[in-house]
Amino acid sequence: MTLDDFAFRLNDYVDDEGTTFDALVTENDILEVVCSNNDEFPIHVTMTDTQILSVTPLFSIAEVQPEKRDELNEVFLRLSPAVPLSSIGLQGDTYILFGAMALDTRFQVVAHELEVQAENTIDVLEAVEHLLD
Amino acid sequence: MGVLRDMMTALRGGASEVGEAIVDANAIRILEQEIRDAESAIGSAKQSLTRMKSAEIKLKREIATLDADAADYEQKAVAALNAGEEALATEVAERIAELESERGEKASEQATLDVEVRKIHAMIKSRERTIQKNKRELDKVRTVQELQRATESVSRNFAATGSSEHRVSKALERVKAKQEGWKDRMEAGEWLEGQEAGSDIDAKLRAKGIGASAGGASDVLARLKAKQAG
Repeated sequence: MTLDDFAFRLNDYVDDEGTTFDALVTENDILEVVCSNNDEFPIHVTMTDTQILSVTPLFSIAEVQPEKRDELNEVFLRLSPAVPLSSIGLQGDTYILFGAMALDTRFQVVAHELEVQAENTIDVLEAVEHLLD
Repeated sequence: MGVLRDMMTALRGGASEVGEAIVDANAIRILEQEIRDAESAIGSAKQSLTRMKSAEIKLKREIATLDADAADYEQKAVAALNAGEEALATEVAERIAELESERGEKASEQATLDVEVRKIHAMIKSRERTIQKNKRELDKVRTVQELQRATESVSRNFAATGSSEHRVSKALERVKAKQEGWKDRMEAGEWLEGQEAGSDIDAKLRAKGIGASAGGASDVLARLKAKQAG
Protein backbone atom coordinates (compact mmCIF):
# COMPACT_ATOMS: atom_id res chain seq x y z
CA MET A 1 0.00 0.00 0.00
CA THR A 2 1.40 3.42 -0.95
CA LEU A 3 0.76 6.61 1.00
CA ASP A 4 -1.62 7.75 -1.76
CA ASP A 5 -3.68 4.53 -1.60
CA PHE A 6 -3.76 4.80 2.14
CA ALA A 7 -4.92 8.45 2.04
CA PHE A 8 -7.63 7.54 -0.47
CA ARG A 9 -9.07 4.77 1.72
CA LEU A 10 -8.72 6.75 4.93
CA ASN A 11 -10.79 9.69 3.63
CA ASP A 12 -13.75 7.36 3.04
CA TYR A 13 -13.42 5.45 6.27
CA VAL A 14 -15.44 5.64 9.48
CA ASP A 15 -14.21 3.37 12.25
CA ASP A 16 -16.26 1.50 14.88
CA GLU A 17 -16.17 4.45 17.24
CA GLY A 18 -17.46 6.86 14.61
CA THR A 19 -14.08 8.55 14.05
CA THR A 20 -13.51 9.99 10.58
CA PHE A 21 -10.20 10.95 8.98
CA ASP A 22 -8.95 13.78 6.77
CA ALA A 23 -5.82 12.61 4.99
CA LEU A 24 -3.64 14.32 2.44
CA VAL A 25 -0.18 13.65 1.06
CA THR A 26 2.00 16.75 1.46
CA GLU A 27 4.40 17.95 -1.21
CA ASN A 28 7.34 16.45 0.71
CA ASP A 29 5.66 13.05 0.56
CA ILE A 30 4.33 12.79 4.07
CA LEU A 31 0.77 11.75 4.79
CA GLU A 32 -0.91 14.23 7.11
CA VAL A 33 -3.89 12.75 8.94
CA VAL A 34 -6.40 14.68 11.04
CA CYS A 35 -8.67 12.42 13.12
CA SER A 36 -12.11 13.76 14.03
CA ASN A 37 -11.51 12.96 17.71
CA ASN A 38 -8.56 15.42 17.82
CA ASP A 39 -8.28 17.94 15.00
CA GLU A 40 -5.67 20.13 16.71
CA PHE A 41 -2.71 17.76 16.51
CA PRO A 42 -2.36 16.13 13.09
CA ILE A 43 -0.52 12.84 12.70
CA HIS A 44 2.24 12.54 10.13
CA VAL A 45 2.54 9.13 8.51
CA THR A 46 5.55 7.91 6.55
CA MET A 47 7.01 4.57 5.48
CA THR A 48 10.38 2.82 5.45
CA ASP A 49 11.19 -0.50 3.72
CA THR A 50 9.69 -2.39 6.65
CA GLN A 51 7.61 -0.02 8.77
CA ILE A 52 4.74 2.43 8.79
CA LEU A 53 5.63 5.30 11.14
CA SER A 54 3.06 7.66 12.63
CA VAL A 55 4.35 10.82 14.29
CA THR A 56 2.47 13.48 16.27
CA PRO A 57 4.72 16.40 17.12
CA LEU A 58 3.66 17.60 20.58
CA PHE A 59 5.69 20.70 21.42
CA SER A 60 9.20 22.04 21.19
CA ILE A 61 11.74 22.12 24.03
CA ALA A 62 11.38 25.91 23.99
CA GLU A 63 7.74 25.56 25.06
CA VAL A 64 8.70 23.79 28.30
CA GLN A 65 9.20 25.92 31.41
CA PRO A 66 13.01 25.94 31.62
CA GLU A 67 13.14 24.84 35.28
CA LYS A 68 10.65 22.01 34.59
CA ARG A 69 12.53 20.25 31.79
CA ASP A 70 14.03 17.49 33.97
CA GLU A 71 10.66 16.87 35.56
CA LEU A 72 9.00 16.68 32.15
CA ASN A 73 11.57 14.18 30.87
CA GLU A 74 11.05 11.96 33.90
CA VAL A 75 7.27 12.17 33.65
CA PHE A 76 7.51 11.15 29.98
CA LEU A 77 9.83 8.20 30.75
CA ARG A 78 7.39 6.98 33.40
CA LEU A 79 4.31 7.66 31.28
CA SER A 80 5.49 6.09 28.03
CA PRO A 81 5.03 2.40 28.98
CA ALA A 82 1.47 3.15 30.13
CA VAL A 83 0.38 4.76 26.87
CA PRO A 84 -1.35 2.18 24.66
CA LEU A 85 0.19 1.61 21.20
CA SER A 86 2.19 4.89 21.14
CA SER A 87 5.60 5.86 22.51
CA ILE A 88 6.95 9.24 23.51
CA GLY A 89 10.25 10.50 22.14
CA LEU A 90 12.39 13.45 21.32
CA GLN A 91 13.17 14.20 17.69
CA GLY A 92 15.54 17.11 17.26
CA ASP A 93 14.03 19.84 19.45
CA THR A 94 10.51 18.45 19.28
CA TYR A 95 8.78 16.07 21.66
CA ILE A 96 6.81 13.53 19.65
CA LEU A 97 4.25 10.80 20.17
CA PHE A 98 4.85 8.01 17.68
CA GLY A 99 3.80 4.57 16.62
CA ALA A 100 5.45 1.96 14.38
CA MET A 101 3.70 -0.83 12.53
CA ALA A 102 4.86 -3.55 10.16
CA LEU A 103 4.45 -2.59 6.51
CA ASP A 104 1.90 -5.37 5.91
CA THR A 105 -0.43 -4.27 8.74
CA ARG A 106 -4.11 -4.40 7.73
CA PHE A 107 -5.72 -1.07 6.83
CA GLN A 108 -8.31 -1.22 9.65
CA VAL A 109 -5.57 -1.86 12.20
CA VAL A 110 -3.54 1.14 10.99
CA ALA A 111 -6.65 3.34 11.13
CA HIS A 112 -7.33 2.13 14.67
CA GLU A 113 -3.73 2.93 15.69
CA LEU A 114 -4.10 6.45 14.31
CA GLU A 115 -7.34 6.99 16.20
CA VAL A 116 -5.75 5.75 19.44
CA GLN A 117 -2.69 7.95 18.84
CA ALA A 118 -4.95 11.01 18.39
CA GLU A 119 -6.67 10.12 21.67
CA ASN A 120 -3.33 9.48 23.43
CA THR A 121 -2.10 12.90 22.34
CA ILE A 122 -4.82 14.60 24.39
CA ASP A 123 -4.19 12.38 27.44
CA VAL A 124 -0.42 12.86 27.33
CA LEU A 125 -0.64 16.64 26.86
CA GLU A 126 -3.14 16.95 29.74
CA ALA A 127 -0.66 15.13 31.97
CA VAL A 128 2.18 17.59 31.30
CA GLU A 129 0.25 20.76 30.46
CA HIS A 130 1.26 22.32 33.81
CA LEU A 131 4.96 21.98 32.90
CA LEU A 132 4.62 23.98 29.70
CA ASP A 133 4.81 27.70 29.14
CA MET B 1 29.35 -1.48 14.89
CA GLY B 2 25.69 -1.02 15.71
CA VAL B 3 24.04 1.98 14.13
CA LEU B 4 22.36 2.93 17.42
CA ARG B 5 25.73 3.45 19.13
CA ASP B 6 26.84 5.46 16.12
CA MET B 7 23.75 7.66 16.51
CA MET B 8 24.34 8.09 20.23
CA THR B 9 27.89 9.23 19.59
CA ALA B 10 26.65 11.75 17.05
CA LEU B 11 23.94 13.00 19.44
CA ARG B 12 26.46 13.40 22.28
CA GLY B 13 28.57 15.35 19.84
CA GLY B 14 25.70 17.80 19.58
CA ALA B 15 24.14 16.73 16.28
CA SER B 16 20.64 17.37 17.53
CA GLU B 17 19.77 20.01 14.99
CA VAL B 18 16.90 19.11 12.74
CA GLY B 19 18.11 18.01 9.32
CA GLU B 20 21.62 17.30 10.56
CA ALA B 21 22.94 13.90 9.58
CA ILE B 22 23.06 11.99 12.83
CA VAL B 23 24.43 8.86 11.20
CA ASP B 24 27.74 9.02 9.43
CA ALA B 25 27.11 8.73 5.70
CA ASN B 26 30.24 6.61 5.56
CA ALA B 27 28.73 4.06 7.96
CA ILE B 28 25.70 3.77 5.70
CA ARG B 29 27.89 3.28 2.64
CA ILE B 30 29.79 0.51 4.43
CA LEU B 31 26.56 -1.29 5.35
CA GLU B 32 25.30 -0.99 1.77
CA GLN B 33 28.64 -2.14 0.35
CA GLU B 34 28.63 -5.18 2.65
CA ILE B 35 25.15 -6.07 1.41
CA ARG B 36 26.28 -5.81 -2.22
CA ASP B 37 29.44 -7.87 -1.48
CA ALA B 38 27.42 -10.56 0.28
CA GLU B 39 24.92 -10.67 -2.57
CA SER B 40 27.61 -11.09 -5.21
CA ALA B 41 29.38 -13.74 -3.05
CA ILE B 42 26.10 -15.64 -2.81
CA GLY B 43 25.68 -15.34 -6.57
CA SER B 44 29.07 -16.89 -7.36
CA ALA B 45 28.61 -19.50 -4.59
CA LYS B 46 25.41 -20.60 -6.28
CA GLN B 47 27.26 -20.90 -9.59
CA SER B 48 29.92 -23.12 -7.92
CA LEU B 49 27.16 -25.22 -6.41
CA THR B 50 25.73 -25.82 -9.88
CA ARG B 51 29.16 -26.89 -11.18
CA MET B 52 29.65 -29.17 -8.17
CA LYS B 53 26.26 -30.72 -8.64
CA SER B 54 27.12 -31.71 -12.22
CA ALA B 55 30.50 -33.12 -11.04
CA GLU B 56 28.65 -35.11 -8.37
CA ILE B 57 26.19 -36.52 -10.89
CA LYS B 58 29.10 -37.56 -13.15
CA LEU B 59 30.93 -39.25 -10.22
CA LYS B 60 27.82 -41.16 -9.16
CA ARG B 61 27.34 -42.40 -12.72
CA GLU B 62 30.98 -43.51 -12.93
CA ILE B 63 30.77 -45.32 -9.58
CA ALA B 64 27.59 -47.09 -10.68
CA THR B 65 29.33 -48.21 -13.90
CA LEU B 66 32.37 -49.48 -11.95
CA ASP B 67 30.07 -51.39 -9.55
CA ALA B 68 28.20 -52.97 -12.46
CA ASP B 69 31.48 -53.93 -14.20
CA ALA B 70 32.89 -55.46 -11.00
CA ALA B 71 29.70 -57.48 -10.43
CA ASP B 72 29.84 -58.69 -14.03
CA TYR B 73 33.50 -59.78 -13.69
CA GLU B 74 32.76 -61.52 -10.38
CA GLN B 75 30.17 -63.70 -12.10
CA LYS B 76 32.70 -64.43 -14.88
CA ALA B 77 35.42 -65.27 -12.34
CA VAL B 78 33.08 -67.75 -10.62
CA ALA B 79 32.21 -69.25 -14.00
CA ALA B 80 35.94 -69.57 -14.83
CA LEU B 81 36.58 -71.29 -11.49
CA ASN B 82 33.68 -73.67 -12.08
CA ALA B 83 35.14 -74.47 -15.47
CA GLY B 84 38.49 -75.22 -13.78
CA GLU B 85 40.17 -72.24 -15.49
CA GLU B 86 42.20 -71.15 -12.44
CA ALA B 87 44.62 -68.93 -14.43
CA LEU B 88 41.82 -67.10 -16.22
CA ALA B 89 39.94 -66.64 -12.93
CA THR B 90 43.06 -65.07 -11.40
CA GLU B 91 43.32 -62.66 -14.33
CA VAL B 92 39.66 -61.69 -13.87
CA ALA B 93 40.22 -61.27 -10.12
CA GLU B 94 43.06 -58.84 -10.86
CA ARG B 95 40.73 -56.87 -13.13
CA ILE B 96 38.14 -56.76 -10.32
CA ALA B 97 40.79 -55.51 -7.88
CA GLU B 98 41.66 -52.71 -10.35
CA LEU B 99 38.00 -51.74 -10.68
CA GLU B 100 37.59 -51.70 -6.90
CA SER B 101 40.58 -49.47 -6.38
CA GLU B 102 39.32 -47.09 -9.05
CA ARG B 103 35.93 -47.07 -7.31
CA GLY B 104 37.63 -46.23 -4.02
CA GLU B 105 39.29 -43.19 -5.60
CA LYS B 106 36.00 -41.96 -7.05
CA ALA B 107 34.23 -42.45 -3.72
CA SER B 108 36.84 -40.37 -1.88
CA GLU B 109 36.51 -37.70 -4.58
CA GLN B 110 32.77 -37.70 -3.92
CA ALA B 111 33.30 -37.37 -0.16
CA THR B 112 35.59 -34.34 -0.72
CA LEU B 113 32.95 -32.83 -2.97
CA ASP B 114 30.28 -33.34 -0.27
CA VAL B 115 32.41 -31.48 2.26
CA GLU B 116 32.85 -28.60 -0.22
CA VAL B 117 29.12 -28.41 -0.92
CA ARG B 118 28.34 -28.27 2.81
CA LYS B 119 30.93 -25.51 3.26
CA ILE B 120 29.38 -23.47 0.46
CA HIS B 121 25.89 -23.89 1.92
CA ALA B 122 27.18 -22.69 5.30
CA MET B 123 28.87 -19.73 3.60
CA ILE B 124 25.65 -18.76 1.80
CA LYS B 125 23.76 -18.89 5.10
CA SER B 126 26.28 -16.69 6.86
CA ARG B 127 26.26 -14.17 4.00
CA GLU B 128 22.47 -14.13 4.10
CA ARG B 129 22.65 -13.38 7.83
CA THR B 130 24.97 -10.47 7.07
CA ILE B 131 22.50 -9.14 4.51
CA GLN B 132 19.54 -9.39 6.92
CA LYS B 133 21.52 -7.83 9.78
CA ASN B 134 22.73 -4.93 7.64
CA LYS B 135 19.26 -4.37 6.25
CA ARG B 136 17.91 -4.10 9.81
CA GLU B 137 20.65 -1.62 10.66
CA LEU B 138 19.86 0.42 7.56
CA ASP B 139 16.18 0.36 8.50
CA LYS B 140 17.07 1.94 11.86
CA VAL B 141 18.83 4.74 10.00
CA ARG B 142 15.90 5.06 7.62
CA THR B 143 13.47 5.13 10.57
CA VAL B 144 15.35 8.01 12.19
CA GLN B 145 15.49 9.86 8.87
CA GLU B 146 11.75 9.38 8.35
CA LEU B 147 10.92 10.43 11.93
CA GLN B 148 13.05 13.50 11.33
CA ARG B 149 11.20 14.29 8.08
CA ALA B 150 7.77 13.71 9.63
CA THR B 151 8.59 15.91 12.63
CA GLU B 152 10.36 18.62 10.68
CA SER B 153 7.35 19.60 8.56
CA VAL B 154 5.35 20.38 11.69
CA SER B 155 8.17 21.93 13.69
CA ARG B 156 8.17 24.63 11.06
CA ASN B 157 4.51 25.21 11.95
CA PHE B 158 5.51 25.46 15.60
CA ALA B 159 7.96 28.16 14.65
CA ALA B 160 5.22 30.07 12.84
CA THR B 161 2.46 29.71 15.43
CA GLY B 162 4.40 28.47 18.46
CA SER B 163 5.59 31.90 19.42
CA SER B 164 2.13 32.44 20.91
CA GLU B 165 1.95 31.77 24.62
CA HIS B 166 0.16 28.67 25.94
CA ARG B 167 -0.15 27.21 22.44
CA VAL B 168 -0.64 23.67 23.78
CA SER B 169 -3.13 24.69 26.48
CA LYS B 170 -5.19 26.65 24.00
CA ALA B 171 -5.22 23.76 21.53
CA LEU B 172 -6.21 21.36 24.30
CA GLU B 173 -9.05 23.65 25.33
CA ARG B 174 -10.35 23.77 21.77
CA VAL B 175 -10.20 19.98 21.41
CA LYS B 176 -11.94 19.44 24.72
CA ALA B 177 -14.62 22.01 23.89
CA LYS B 178 -15.28 20.15 20.65
CA GLN B 179 -15.43 16.84 22.49
CA GLU B 180 -17.89 18.32 25.00
CA GLY B 181 -20.00 19.66 22.15
CA TRP B 182 -19.95 16.26 20.55
CA LYS B 183 -20.89 14.57 23.82
CA ASP B 184 -23.75 17.06 24.34
CA ARG B 185 -25.04 16.36 20.85
CA MET B 186 -24.86 12.62 21.54
CA GLU B 187 -26.83 13.08 24.77
CA ALA B 188 -29.35 15.32 23.01
CA GLY B 189 -29.72 12.64 20.36
CA GLU B 190 -30.29 9.99 23.02
CA TRP B 191 -32.84 12.22 24.80
CA LEU B 192 -34.73 12.81 21.57
CA GLU B 193 -34.75 9.10 20.84
CA GLY B 194 -36.14 8.49 24.33
CA GLN B 195 -38.85 11.11 23.77
CA GLU B 196 -39.83 9.58 20.49
CA ALA B 197 -39.94 6.11 22.00
CA GLY B 198 -42.08 7.51 24.90
CA SER B 199 -44.61 9.18 22.62
CA ASP B 200 -44.85 5.94 20.70
CA ILE B 201 -45.98 4.19 23.86
CA ASP B 202 -48.48 6.97 24.68
CA ALA B 203 -49.95 6.69 21.21
CA LYS B 204 -50.29 2.92 21.59
CA LEU B 205 -52.00 3.34 25.00
CA ARG B 206 -54.44 5.89 23.60
CA ALA B 207 -55.30 3.57 20.75
CA LYS B 208 -56.30 0.95 23.33
CA GLY B 209 -58.33 3.50 25.33
CA ILE B 210 -55.82 3.43 28.24
CA GLY B 211 -54.40 6.53 29.93
CA ALA B 212 -55.31 10.19 29.41
CA SER B 213 -58.62 10.52 27.65
CA ALA B 214 -58.62 12.39 24.37
CA GLY B 215 -62.28 13.39 23.89
CA GLY B 216 -63.42 16.49 25.87
CA ALA B 217 -67.03 17.51 25.02
CA SER B 218 -68.41 14.00 24.55
CA ASP B 219 -67.05 12.96 28.00
CA VAL B 220 -68.62 16.02 29.65
CA LEU B 221 -71.98 15.39 27.95
CA ALA B 222 -71.95 11.74 29.06
CA ARG B 223 -71.24 12.87 32.66
CA LEU B 224 -74.14 15.39 32.58
CA LYS B 225 -76.52 12.76 31.18
CA ALA B 226 -75.51 10.35 33.94
CA LYS B 227 -76.19 13.08 36.59
CA GLN B 228 -79.63 13.89 35.10
CA ALA B 229 -80.61 10.23 35.08
CA GLY B 230 -79.48 9.93 38.72
